[in-house]
Amino acid sequence: MVFRRPSGRPPGAAPTGDADAEAFAQAALSHVDSLYGTALRLTRRPADAEDLVQDTYLKAFRASHQFERGTNLKAWLFTILHNTYRNARRHDGRNPVDVDSEAVDRAAGDERVSLSPEQILMRGTLDADLQAALDALPEAFRQAVWLRDVEELSYAEMAKVLDVPIGTVMSRISRGRRALFAGLQARRGTAEPRMASR
Amino acid sequence: MGDIRNCRDVDEHLTPYVDGEETQETRRSLDAHISACPPCREHVESERSARQILHSHRGDLKVHAPEALRDRCARLRQVEGGQAPAGPRTSVIRRWVPLSLAATLVLAVTGAIVFGLNNRVEALAASLAIDHVKCFKVGARDKHVDPERAANRWQQNQGWPIAIPQTEPAEELRLLDVRRCFSSDGRAAHMMYTWRGAPLSVYVLQGDAGADRVVDRMGREAVIWCANRRTYAVVADGHPHDMAHIVDYMKARVR
Repeated sequence: MVFRRPSGRPPGAAPTGDADAEAFAQAALSHVDSLYGTALRLTRRPADAEDLVQDTYLKAFRASHQFERGTNLKAWLFTILHNTYRNARRHDGRNPVDVDSEAVDRAAGDERVSLSPEQILMRGTLDADLQAALDALPEAFRQAVWLRDVEELSYAEMAKVLDVPIGTVMSRISRGRRALFAGLQARRGTAEPRMASR
Repeated sequence: MGDIRNCRDVDEHLTPYVDGEETQETRRSLDAHISACPPCREHVESERSARQILHSHRGDLKVHAPEALRDRCARLRQVEGGQAPAGPRTSVIRRWVPLSLAATLVLAVTGAIVFGLNNRVEALAASLAIDHVKCFKVGARDKHVDPERAANRWQQNQGWPIAIPQTEPAEELRLLDVRRCFSSDGRAAHMMYTWRGAPLSVYVLQGDAGADRVVDRMGREAVIWCANRRTYAVVADGHPHDMAHIVDYMKARVR
């Protein structure tokens, strides 16, 4: 959703009035599901995800004057969320972004494409399969695929959120998608063919 | 961007190519290479498939934040913003409504490039194209229902009225079934016809429901339009120019 300013102040002006601040807060809070879902993909633990979302809102409300009116509020919130997550991980002493591209290349190259998208749909893309295949992706690829295909961010927005060049964004999406498809095929390959249940 | 000389050049452009965001010139150049290069074609296919699957499951993958978290976050604002919680507030947020939905769009879903399309509309077309394929694959093709009776039954079971275009022998149009389409939270009616022996679907959606869901490019054409706070779509396995006639027929009768 694009945040629309309710009053006629010039773009970029800080929300001074009560109504403006309220409108900003409501617009920001309308993205809580997206933020929580994304936080869950990052942390994999509900309690950590909730903490991350709360930190994000705290920072967002503090920095609301920095939000550029007319730009994508959801992408702005995602940027705060990912920065917060990266910082937390850095303090954790773990690697912030861990891309094992060789493993992904192997995964993507291994499987012969034997099923058409229609066949896959007809066999029922089980949510469990999809969840598992997503979770099996290296983190950087999982984030890229998630932000692009589930949260529908543009490449430019993603570059800001992930703090990497646009070319890197695109290559992570590409590799992530291919690895995901290979993962799904590997999962289906061993399963019984089944019809879509709905 | 210009020349695509080798597979490495293709790799750089793969994602915008699959997303339909390349310029026409680059796209043509890519098309030429990909059609002659099986490994690149396989990359395109698997990337495209993953994208389709994700889009069609976007709704299932999204989660709801716990209510308690929502409340806590809302309270953070009053703490941080230094503002005392006031009495009842009226929401000043207006939902963003995709403008393109207001127009009739012919979406070439057969791999032809579509520029400047509103994502939601493309997603809707794609989700319906998937549903169309799915329903005709699992549904019985020899079924036959009476439009008027089906409309009454729909009103009784679903609580909102739909007009179901009559079966027309001269048009080789037969109504096979009317069912709830689950691609958009069950808020859409799916009328399954055969037209000249091939599957044809008519969808009726309440408001802009479902416009934020799902997949694309399954080799089907979708025509979408809006009227009276509803969204309508015709999906068939044909080319847009062949469909114009039947779409007009449906438009006149489905509202």
